Amino acid sequence: MKRRVVITGMGVITPLGKTVDELYESQLAGHSGIGPIRHFDASQFPTKFAAQVKDFKLADHVPNPERWRAAGANSRFAAAAACQTLGDAGLLGDTRANRDRFGIYVGAGEGIHDFHNFFSLVARNFDPDRRKVNTAGFAAGGLKDFHPAEEFEQELHTTTGHLGAYFDLRGPNYTCLTACAASSQAIGEAACQIRHGDADLMLAGGAHSMIHPLGVTGFNRLTALSTRNDAPEKASRPFDKDRDGFVLGEGAGMVILEELEHAKKRGANIYAELAGYGTTADAFAVTDSHEAGRGAIACIEMALRDSGLPASAIGYINAHGTSTQVNDRVETLAIKKVFGDGAYQIPISSSKSMLGHLIAAAGAVELIISIVAMRRGILPPTINYETPDPDCDLDYIPNVAREKKVCHVLSNSFGFGGQNISLIASEFN
Amino acid sequence: MAATSRRAVLTGIGVLSAIGQDNAAFWQALQAGRSGIRSIQAFDTSTLPVRIAGEVRPFDARYYVEKSQRKSLLIMARTIQLGVAASKLALDDSGVDKTKLDPKRFGVEFGAGLIATELDELADAALLSANCLPGQVDLERWGSASMEAIPPKWMLKYLPNMPACHVSIFHDAQGPNNSITENDVAGLLAMGEAFRILARDQADFFIAGGAESRINPLSMVRQCLFDALSRRNEHPEKACRPFDRNRDGFVLGEGGGVFVMEELEHACRRGARIYAEIIGFGSAFDATVNPRVANPKAPAGESGLARAIRAALGEAEIGPEEIDHVNAHGLSSVSSDAWEARGLQAVFGACRQPVPVFAAKSYFGNLGAGGSTTELAASIFALQNGFVPRTLNYDQPDPACPLAVVAREPKPIRTPYVLKVSFTQMGQCAAVVVRKWE
Repeated sequence: MKRRVVITGMGVITPLGKTVDELYESQLAGHSGIGPIRHFDASQFPTKFAAQVKDFKLADHVPNPERWRAAGANSRFAAAAACQTLGDAGLLGDTRANRDRFGIYVGAGEGIHDFHNFFSLVARNFDPDRRKVNTAGFAAGGLKDFHPAEEFEQELHTTTGHLGAYFDLRGPNYTCLTACAASSQAIGEAACQIRHGDADLMLAGGAHSMIHPLGVTGFNRLTALSTRNDAPEKASRPFDKDRDGFVLGEGAGMVILEELEHAKKRGANIYAELAGYGTTADAFAVTDSHEAGRGAIACIEMALRDSGLPASAIGYINAHGTSTQVNDRVETLAIKKVFGDGAYQIPISSSKSMLGHLIAAAGAVELIISIVAMRRGILPPTINYETPDPDCDLDYIPNVAREKKVCHVLSNSFGFGGQNISLIASEFN
Repeated sequence: MAATSRRAVLTGIGVLSAIGQDNAAFWQALQAGRSGIRSIQAFDTSTLPVRIAGEVRPFDARYYVEKSQRKSLLIMARTIQLGVAASKLALDDSGVDKTKLDPKRFGVEFGAGLIATELDELADAALLSANCLPGQVDLERWGSASMEAIPPKWMLKYLPNMPACHVSIFHDAQGPNNSITENDVAGLLAMGEAFRILARDQADFFIAGGAESRINPLSMVRQCLFDALSRRNEHPEKACRPFDRNRDGFVLGEGGGVFVMEELEHACRRGARIYAEIIGFGSAFDATVNPRVANPKAPAGESGLARAIRAALGEAEIGPEEIDHVNAHGLSSVSSDAWEARGLQAVFGACRQPVPVFAAKSYFGNLGAGGSTTELAASIFALQNGFVPRTLNYDQPDPACPLAVVAREPKPIRTPYVLKVSFTQMGQCAAVVVRKWE
């Protein structure tokens, strides 16, 4: 018999709230979480704004947070969201759950880069005659200046390692970093592990912050970010004709995935069923999506096939909707291709219009929003939708939340580098 | 355990390491017991406490990329180039006609790590805003001047999902594509995931494996700060000595190991040469590998390594005595090797004959995300050739590692089953069982 997977816990740390309720209410109200960058002096950067998590102290979320002292924002957000999620699922400190069958799969970003020491060392050890950095000098300085513990916490496996150790989860422990698709991919593969029998419970999701000097620099150099500095809260405008790039966000989103019978047996509160998962690659270009959306189309189709649902069953789509020219056009194209004329009847919105782009954490947070919308029967809007784009002519729930009963929701995530992920969540009765 | 009728076989192998840049050279070195660990040539290491590693030299990525696509090598760090090259070798070795593959059923699963930036390309930016106060970048000047001096595509050169991304573009692999970033165990987890995806019928053909290079100034500084490397600089070839009593830390290597993994019917239809079948996989977590990570309040339990092995053996439906040899993680670290030995003992301790253990890192060091799959390749060649190579530098047994290490001479293969294990120093563990194809 097929093992079914349900969602029995959710938790978030986002620029629009540090609980699922707070996040969802802000989304319904159409609040923007975007403002001037405060994490560092970005006054001379091409992009001077982002969606930042406000007033975050790990100690407010996790007892005894000492192990995260040297950790980056990614791991700290992950710890807080994980604690919230486990608590929500009634699994925090639950000694009856079999820890060996309880795993982790997180799309986790990298830790803090020691920006100041690194560039200072490069400058100090530059040999002008050879036009090269003197590596012996750089190495000697690095041994002295870099902080060993902080350097260690940059390693990509530390986020899930700490979660496994702290919460005593001893099952499969994975992390993936497929850019903007990472946390959706983590949730999809974690669900497959449960279906296959590798685990009964998985803590899955994502955590990331690229709101640091090098992160903003990297995206600015690729001209991927909006530069609407005079009106940051208007900068993320998915599907609007005047969109000019995405806005960096940060945070974490986690869910508990649980085998259905396991959830029933312990009387868990079931939010939804994770019904479908699609995973493909564009195999086209390093940065841009395939113009005809071939990877995205195949991905949504694969998720539908996996769920066994007809396309017409999908009542709401939470779009990847980054607010870049290419993504929003290609995603619209892909939705039209898969859903045909029905595409015009499906309400679609982009959480990124308010939250910005949480990169590795984006998909998990957006899936959570989609599930709450399905349960509450009110779909969040796409804000800043002012000027229609002829290439983007679907129903993007412009600016105002909408009441609608839906039973199946689709959440898309398309990564830089061509990884596409689609997740389908269904009402559970 | 969900039964599946879809079986996964390995039909292509690509390895790049300090002991060889093709399968024949790789096996020759293993057969001859020849280490690839040397003094580092890549850059001036005179100020570092560690000056040895297993380098892939000379390495020219252009050799592995078609002329029309060579421009993209400019946006690939060495790690990415090694991954692209090993993938090309594996595909060539599989003998597949790419034009006959269904791109939508062709996936890529890669293990990847943090990729360190090169220094010279950032020097102009640094000079403009970071040469006044030590340890301080003037962010205003950075924004107004340095920004423009950063190569526009700089970031793309270092994203961990780029090896899998470039491989998918070069070979038109439009199926599932993931980059697992779980340090030393990443490649094996990627293989395990590909195995699962094949079984659940979302792909027929995979490039699966990993690659990594940390032999560059920034990575080496960071690794030295973590203080786990061997400092046997005077005797590079003797430095990596898994399970030996006098081991003093691990040795960095670089390179990668990549497999073509294919659904059995698919392989048979095209008349592919089959090396081996993957018949079991398991993974688990156990923080006790590292006292600094472990949770002192957590109740004691069975070793995570042992649990991963039991899961893999269970799926393979074989007992521990049927394993020909264990291809160990064998890091050459004092505590890690002892922890591994305890995990292996928990599973194999009751066997009437001790199970032979082989540690491939003794030849080429620790390839990080590319290590576990490169090491597994050694055992696949061992199955092909009928004997297990000897583990280098195993001179004096350590009572803390009571294992039957294959050491003095190669050991004839007795059974068709090999167990490969790998884990990280945070506690992520994986195990794979393969069976020789006959």
